[in-house]
Amino acid sequence: MKTFAYFLLFLVLAFVVILLAALLGDEGAWYFAWLVGTAMIVLIAAAGAALLDTQEDQAAQAHAAGERAVP
Amino acid sequence: MIDGTVVDLSRTQFAATALYHYLFVPLTLGLSFLLAAMETVYVTTGKPIYKQMAQFWGKLFMINFALGVATGLTMEFQFGTNWSFYSSFVGDIFGAPLAIEGLMAFFMESTFVGLMVFGWERLSKGQHLAVTWLVALGSNLSALWILIANSFMQDPRGAAFDPTTLRMQLTSFQQLIFSPDAQSKFVHTSIAGYVTAAVFVAGISAWYMLKRRHMDLAKRSFRMAALFGVLATIGVITLGDALGFVAAQAQPTKLAAMEGLWKSEPAPMPFNLIAFPDQSLQKNAGAVQVPYLLSLLVTHSLDGTVAGIDALERQAAQKVENGIPAVQALQVLSKNPKDAAALAQFKAHEQDLGYGFLVQRYAPDLQHVTPQQVQQAARDSIPPVAAVFWSFRLMVGFGLLMLAYFVLAVIYTLRNRVQDQRWFLRAAVWMIPVPFLANETGWLVAELGRQPWTVYGVLPTWMSASTHSVGYMAFSLIGFVTLYSAFIVVEMFLMLRAIRHGPDGPGQHPPYTQQRPALAPRPVPAAAHDTHLEG
Repeated sequence: MKTFAYFLLFLVLAFVVILLAALLGDEGAWYFAWLVGTAMIVLIAAAGAALLDTQEDQAAQAHAAGERAVP
Repeated sequence: MIDGTVVDLSRTQFAATALYHYLFVPLTLGLSFLLAAMETVYVTTGKPIYKQMAQFWGKLFMINFALGVATGLTMEFQFGTNWSFYSSFVGDIFGAPLAIEGLMAFFMESTFVGLMVFGWERLSKGQHLAVTWLVALGSNLSALWILIANSFMQDPRGAAFDPTTLRMQLTSFQQLIFSPDAQSKFVHTSIAGYVTAAVFVAGISAWYMLKRRHMDLAKRSFRMAALFGVLATIGVITLGDALGFVAAQAQPTKLAAMEGLWKSEPAPMPFNLIAFPDQSLQKNAGAVQVPYLLSLLVTHSLDGTVAGIDALERQAAQKVENGIPAVQALQVLSKNPKDAAALAQFKAHEQDLGYGFLVQRYAPDLQHVTPQQVQQAARDSIPPVAAVFWSFRLMVGFGLLMLAYFVLAVIYTLRNRVQDQRWFLRAAVWMIPVPFLANETGWLVAELGRQPWTVYGVLPTWMSASTHSVGYMAFSLIGFVTLYSAFIVVEMFLMLRAIRHGPDGPGQHPPYTQQRPALAPRPVPAAAHDTHLEG
């Protein structure tokens, strides 16, 4: 049910965006670029943090495995 | 006629308050989205370190936000107190975006800032995240409206002068908000704020790494700031190019001043990398040029040309002569708004009305304008070239320096080696002032490049000021500079104190216990586990 609710939410969001794009045409190209660009910059920064967590976990596991291998 | 010294003091006062104010604004614009990014990671991963990051950087955001609001308020009042003719002349257009900006800043942004600060223990994770995103959106949307108002001053679209009311009136709200200058300036300015915040966060994180303090927070903050910053810097440079392209169409005198272009030349035109413009002689000394580059940069073609100041002055002289009958007709219409002959004369010359005003400074009686006065007014239509030229080069230089810095930052952080590059960490701390300088020089280009107009081609600056006395203006200027300098000192003191204390300092929310289970597993009592997860 939660997934379906998300699906509906994003469907409505997509509909609104497409409607706005159709109404505005090429009037607000840079504003649109700002919306998309900002979302992209935030998400890439967030993904970078998640990647660092993974890198640290892998480094820690490798370190622990190395310690176990040494008698 | 308004005393020239009063106009100069009014300009200095507005410039001083705007430059002070703009030390705070970009950090608010960018840091709000970085906070949203940090909190998004917290909500999606559930890791308390990201909550601690959002709270720590949120505290610095609040210090900056409070002083930004305090310095911004006075600017809006200055339009009425020091620029009353301007406010009366274009208030019907300028007032609407300014009012919406006020509503955005004081209703949306401030309300959600309050919820963001005091809502950590009162709102659910999702609700608090939504509030943080709304703070970011609100601060940037309030900037949008003030930049729309500023863009009207640079490229007045969607408005027309009404000879019966003697004021400008809005004809198209759509043209006003979708003007190319408004769009490109908003995105350029907003993303420049992202760069500022990224350099700020990366610099302070680097300082923590140098001191080996709060390493988990510092490494993650640096990683996020580096990625945020490199993409934002590319965006700023792209939009800077777009803004230059827009200026080439809407404000050719600003573009000519930015490039130190005294004479029109055939394509492909060289770019003055370094030069020392002399306004009185109308030539550059010690110019170092890059062949072909100017045509490519400004017109995106090797065949494109840009008008030089010589050609622009000739055009201005023609416009001044064409604008004189418009002002004369206006003088008649101010006494009898129904005079059909005067109205017809005004309609025939209205597109150059502003240039008619320009010559009035030298010839209050327009019946007896001499060719020398026309020439003098035409010369006045050129902004101060050396100041615009060098402000532009400094801004671009700072921008390219930050791009190089962020590329290195991303390489080091993606390899998870940035904490070992001590020379780079030291450089990162020294980089903190650079985006602030870039922002200030950017505004100098925009505003000095618009001179001698408050509204480009329509209303000269010399006419726009209020009729205060020199003593009043000097006194209030000294007062503002003293007060705002004190604000800067307070901001620096509060910021440095919060940074020195770090995320464990006073004012932080429930204490955070660093969790690195793989590196340093610690037994956590079952009852305390939930508390740890929630930070």
